[in-house]
Amino acid sequence: MNVLSCYHCGDEVIGKGYYIEEKAFCCNGCKTVYQLLKDNNLGAFYSLEANAGVKPNVSSIHKFAFLEVESIRDKFIDFEDDQTARTTLFLPQIHCSSCIYLLENLTKIETNILSCQVNFTKREATIIFKKEGFTLSQLAVLLDKIGYAPNFGNRSETEKKFDKTYLYKLGVAGFAFGSIMLWSFPEYLGLGTDNPEFRNFTSYLSFAISIPVVLYSANDYFISAYKALRFKSLNLDVPITIGIIALYLQSSYSIFAGNGPGYMDSFAGFIFFLLIGKWFQNKTYKTLSFERDYTSYFPVAVTRITEKNEEITEIENLKINDKILVRNEEVIPCDSILISDSAKIDYSFVTGESIPINKYKGDFIYAGGKLIGQRIELKVEKESSRSHLTQLWNDVKTDKKNPTSFLYQDKLSAYFLTIILLIALGSGIAWSFIDPTRITQIIVSILIVACPCALALSAPFTFGNVMRLLGRKGLYLKNTRVIERINTITDIVFDKTGTLTKGSSHHVEYIGDELNHDQLEALYSLSNSSTHPLSRSIVQFLRAQNISSNEEITDFDEVSGKGISGTINSLNIKIGSPSFCEQNSIDKNETSSFILINNSTKGRFVFTSELREGISELMTSLNHYDLHVLSGDKDKDKSILESIFPENSKLFFEQTPKNKLEYIENLKKNGKHVLMIGDGLNDAGALGISDVGIAVSEDVFRFTPSSDAIIEANKLASLAYLLSISNFSKTVLKVCLLFSISYNIVGLSFAISGNLTPLVAAILMPISSITVVLLSTLFVRLKK
Amino acid sequence: MGIIYLMLTVSLVIALFFLISFFWATKNGQFDDDYTPSVRILFEDELNQKSNNQTDGSSEV
Repeated sequence: MNVLSCYHCGDEVIGKGYYIEEKAFCCNGCKTVYQLLKDNNLGAFYSLEANAGVKPNVSSIHKFAFLEVESIRDKFIDFEDDQTARTTLFLPQIHCSSCIYLLENLTKIETNILSCQVNFTKREATIIFKKEGFTLSQLAVLLDKIGYAPNFGNRSETEKKFDKTYLYKLGVAGFAFGSIMLWSFPEYLGLGTDNPEFRNFTSYLSFAISIPVVLYSANDYFISAYKALRFKSLNLDVPITIGIIALYLQSSYSIFAGNGPGYMDSFAGFIFFLLIGKWFQNKTYKTLSFERDYTSYFPVAVTRITEKNEEITEIENLKINDKILVRNEEVIPCDSILISDSAKIDYSFVTGESIPINKYKGDFIYAGGKLIGQRIELKVEKESSRSHLTQLWNDVKTDKKNPTSFLYQDKLSAYFLTIILLIALGSGIAWSFIDPTRITQIIVSILIVACPCALALSAPFTFGNVMRLLGRKGLYLKNTRVIERINTITDIVFDKTGTLTKGSSHHVEYIGDELNHDQLEALYSLSNSSTHPLSRSIVQFLRAQNISSNEEITDFDEVSGKGISGTINSLNIKIGSPSFCEQNSIDKNETSSFILINNSTKGRFVFTSELREGISELMTSLNHYDLHVLSGDKDKDKSILESIFPENSKLFFEQTPKNKLEYIENLKKNGKHVLMIGDGLNDAGALGISDVGIAVSEDVFRFTPSSDAIIEANKLASLAYLLSISNFSKTVLKVCLLFSISYNIVGLSFAISGNLTPLVAAILMPISSITVVLLSTLFVRLKK
Repeated sequence: MGIIYLMLTVSLVIALFFLISFFWATKNGQFDDDYTPSVRILFEDELNQKSNNQTDGSSEV
């Protein structure tokens, strides 16, 4: 069957769809956005990238009502004068050039918006708007309406400043490097001694310029080395610092003794290249930064019911036993008890499970779910900052990643330092017989030339490139350390729901009386009028049986979170939850929709989740790891899982998050290195304590607090390949290591024989750094 | 020989000028976002050519 996709968002159009001219839309929301863009002459949105739109949510006026509260609003306004205000909003849905086009043309849609500038990398928009007749909350509603719901979380400000410091430092080092090298040319050509006066002049000038380099540009290395030594450990920064200091002192001595500029050019060059490595690393983080404060997902404000009235208040002000009001589509801000009769909570953006969960009066409701349907009242049980989920996460964070897992470089640097010191000592002894006056010079030049600059660059570039490659393939890592940990993995633990099985698409089964063709067609028409995931699944199920229909429905009614009803060709049909159809649910663990035709029960649709494509192939290709499955579900799928997993895999069912956590702790105690794949929050604890926690997500901008990486759900099948890319980085590193060590040996031979002239240093140092950078980039590029 | 001191000074001044420009650019956010401007420059400025713009933007290339 030809699948029609929505002109706006690209989703499959199920059923009749909505049409404007020839263009089909999957829902009214998409159609509205199209209409809005068309009316405002922004049709080019669709010509930039096909189906670029974001399916808008059902927006409610209340959703951003908290922005009317002065104190909350002011937090998000960067600047304001009498007429205008400027705000910077985080819009996680920004994903393509069409988004930039649309947002930067917001002025055409709303004349009160004066300008809008998008920062794609940060997914932020800076918007200036007229204060008169327009408010921040109206702006938020507008953005939400066109599919870019702003995320009002607490933004971390430190991130921004950090970035720029590197650029400043890099600038200073580059400036000094260039200038000193220019002045050192006579030295390189051996003309240094021709004009002692001029030589002194340039030497002192070089010294002056090098002061900001040593004090400002290089200080990170000194601090890092000092910290490492204070904790009696070694990192790569220790030998680097020794090299830098030796280089600097030797050159300063040479300048003040009137012997020329020494190695000042190499010194500035060292720092410059090292900083480029750091800057590259930093840039990689920035483009892939997905880690946001967990609070950014919880709403900023809630409606509190007091005895007299309702008031909007910040979440931090909520006390235990406060009564709060949550409306349709709002997030439950804290763990609480349901006061209203019943509620349907959608934990999809927490667990990936798209079927809402029913809760009844007196039930405990965890924070993080989204309410679907009528508004409810809740009694606060825990203050938000101490919420169950965040607590689990915070506990984990404190002992995150055992400190004994050194970076490969740190391990190396211990050997490195010992060898260098031994060589220096040996050469010192040897030279004491040859020419005792040159001992200091020889030892210093050994320390200088052994400075592992190339080594320091190899890791950030290799890991950075691998990280980017993985990002393009659908696996987003939190940082480069994750790659090193991936390479040591022995065991892989899978979660079932949302990981091995699809979160949204379901396998449907009908249990009950035989239905005739007319009844099936009527069911089709009715389900087709709803956009609920279960209705969509029913439509797909019926379509597979060649049922389709477009009958007129009368008395259509959809009770949000319960079911749908309507009359088609004199058949009165109700589809929905047991309570909606006045039935007793048969099995609490079963997801099902009952069918009532003319008030008699016909049967029910049972939904079971489907395995993702390629999972069984994946398991075969992962057979060199020990595989485990920890499922929160009953063992109804056990036989399917057993058939695809290798024989010695361990499968466990009915596991609580706590069980999962303990299971992984046990594995780790037995010396295993565990990779856990699960969904964001539900498995947060388990993901957090694993050596590598990968969250599976349909939407990579989703909230995953304690994971080390996010994998796009549809890329899960290529996990084995992704892991092999990560392992490949080991090979690349080894090659880089080989090269930098051979450069070091060449350099050392110059140093030991007493021939390390500034010229040799000036040539060796950049060449070794550049080779390593090129090698690591080239290797990763070739691997594809 | 005097000229070389002058040239040295000039080279230093030029280098300093670039360093300061670099600082200024960094501070002004020139390096904050290296993707969006590359896309932005390709957008048609429709406001000025509203008259000869067709109603359905999707067919324009």
